[in-house]
Amino acid sequence: MNWLRVFFHGGLTSYRALFAWINPWIFLPVLVVYPVFQTVFFVYLGRAADVADDAFFVIGNSFVAAAVTGLFGMGQAIAGERRFQTLPVLLASPASRLALFLGRAVPTMANGFVVATITFVLGAALMGVTIDRAAYGGLALALAASCFACAALGLCVGSLTFRARSIGVFADAISAALLLVTGANVPLERLPDVLQSVSAYIPLTHGLHAARTLATGASVTDVLPQIRDELLVGAAYFAAGLLLLRYFERDGRRAGSFERF
Amino acid sequence: MIRAFATGLRVHLVHLLRSPFDLVAILIWPVIFASIAYYLIGTEGSTRVLFVASLGAAMMMLWSQVIVGSGFSLDQQRNQGTLELLVAAPVPLVIVIAPVMIASAAFGIYGLLVTLAWGRFAFGIPIAIDHPVAFVVAAVAAIVSIGLLGLIAASLFVLSRAASYFGVALQYPVYLASGLMLPLALLPAWIDPLSWVLAPTWGYRALTHASGGGGAWRDIGMCVLLSAVYLVLALPCLAWFERVARDRGTLKLS
Repeated sequence: MNWLRVFFHGGLTSYRALFAWINPWIFLPVLVVYPVFQTVFFVYLGRAADVADDAFFVIGNSFVAAAVTGLFGMGQAIAGERRFQTLPVLLASPASRLALFLGRAVPTMANGFVVATITFVLGAALMGVTIDRAAYGGLALALAASCFACAALGLCVGSLTFRARSIGVFADAISAALLLVTGANVPLERLPDVLQSVSAYIPLTHGLHAARTLATGASVTDVLPQIRDELLVGAAYFAAGLLLLRYFERDGRRAGSFERF
Repeated sequence: MIRAFATGLRVHLVHLLRSPFDLVAILIWPVIFASIAYYLIGTEGSTRVLFVASLGAAMMMLWSQVIVGSGFSLDQQRNQGTLELLVAAPVPLVIVIAPVMIASAAFGIYGLLVTLAWGRFAFGIPIAIDHPVAFVVAAVAAIVSIGLLGLIAASLFVLSRAASYFGVALQYPVYLASGLMLPLALLPAWIDPLSWVLAPTWGYRALTHASGGGGAWRDIGMCVLLSAVYLVLALPCLAWFERVARDRGTLKLS
C-alpha cells in the first residue's frame, strides 16, 4: 500500500512541482510549436533529398518529440530535487527506490505520449500525410513502448545530477544525437555500419521501425518483435538508471556531497 | 556607452566560453544537422552541395544561439537577480542588451568552424572559399544582423520569463523561412517575401556566394540594411517593454 502511495502521490507531486514545462506559456512553444515545425522542416528537407516519403519524417519527428520530453522531463525530475535541495530528504526516506523513480517516470511518459500525438496529428495535417486508421492502435502501442524507453534513458541522464551541475548538457546532446542515430530523419541503411549497430541499442530505433512498418499496412502482430525489442531496451536503461542512482547515492552518502552544488 | 558595450560583449563571450551547455550544444547540433544533410543527400550530391549544406547548418546554429541562448542568458540574469541592475544601469538598455545578442551570434562562428571541420574530416568535403575577404565580411555582417534581429525578441525576454521559451519555438520557423539547408522554391510561395526580411536568409546567401560563384556583396548590403531596420524597430520595442516591466514590477519575477 505504501509502495503504491509513493508511486502515485510521489510521481504526481513531482510532476506538478518539477516539470517546468507544464505552464501553458512554456508547454505551447516548447512542446507543440517546436516539434511541429521540426517535423515540417525535416519533411521539406526529405523532399529536397528525395530519399523517403513524408510519412517517414512525420512519424520520425513525432517520436523524437516524445523522446525529448522523456529525457528532459525525467532528468529534471531528479535534477530538480537537487536544485531545490530536497534530494537528501528524498534519499534519506526508506521508500522503495523503484516506487520513487517509476512513479516519476509514468507522468513523463504520459506527457511524451500526448506531445508525440499532438505533433503527429498537426504534422500530418500540415504536410498532407494520411495513415490508415486501422494502424492507429498499433502506432499507439509502439509510441507507448518508445515513451517508456526514452523515460528510462532520462532516468540514466537524471542520475548524473549527482556528479554534474546541469543535466541539460547531457539531455540536449543526447536529444540531438537521437535525431540522427535512431533513424528518425535518415533511413538507417544510409548510415554507416557503426551507427547502424549502435542504433539497435538506443531507445526509439525499434519503436520507429515498428511504427513505420505499421504505417505501410502491417498488422500489430507483424511488429510485436520490434515493440518487444523497444521494451527490452527501455528495461535495460531503466535498470541501468536505478543502478547508477544506487551507486551515486552510496557515493554521495560517503562523500557527503548531496548538498554540494 | 562604448565602454559599456565593449565590456558587455567581452563578459558575455567569456560567460559563453565557460558554459558547458553552450559549448557542447554548439559542438553537437551543427554537426548533427550537417550529418543529417550529408546522409540524406548522400554521395549523389556534389561536394559543393554538401559544403553549402554545412554553411546552412552553421547558420542554423548561429540563429539558435541568438534566439535561444540569449533568451536563457537573460533569464539567468533574472534568476541571479542581476537583470534589475542591468536595466537600472545609467546607459540605454540597448547598450546593455545588444552585446548579449551580438556575442551570442559571434559565438555561432565556433559552430561554423566546427561544421566546416566536421565536413572536411568526416566526409572529405573540401573547404573551398573562392572569395575569402568577402567570406569574412559576410560572416561579420551575418553576426551583426542576426544579433540585431534577436534584439527585437530581447525586448520580450525582458518583459517575461516565459518569453525565452518563445525563442525555442522560433528556431525551426526561421530555418524554414530562411531556406537554410533546403531550397526556398520547395516552400509555399507566400514564404518568399517573409524570407526577404530575415537576416539569416541574407547571411546564408552571403556566405554561400562568397564561398563560390561571387555576388556576395549585394547580400552583405542586405545584411547591413536589415541591421539598421532591426535597430530602428528594436529601440522603441525595448523602451516600451522596459517601461511595462518596470510598471508591473516583473523584472525580478522568475
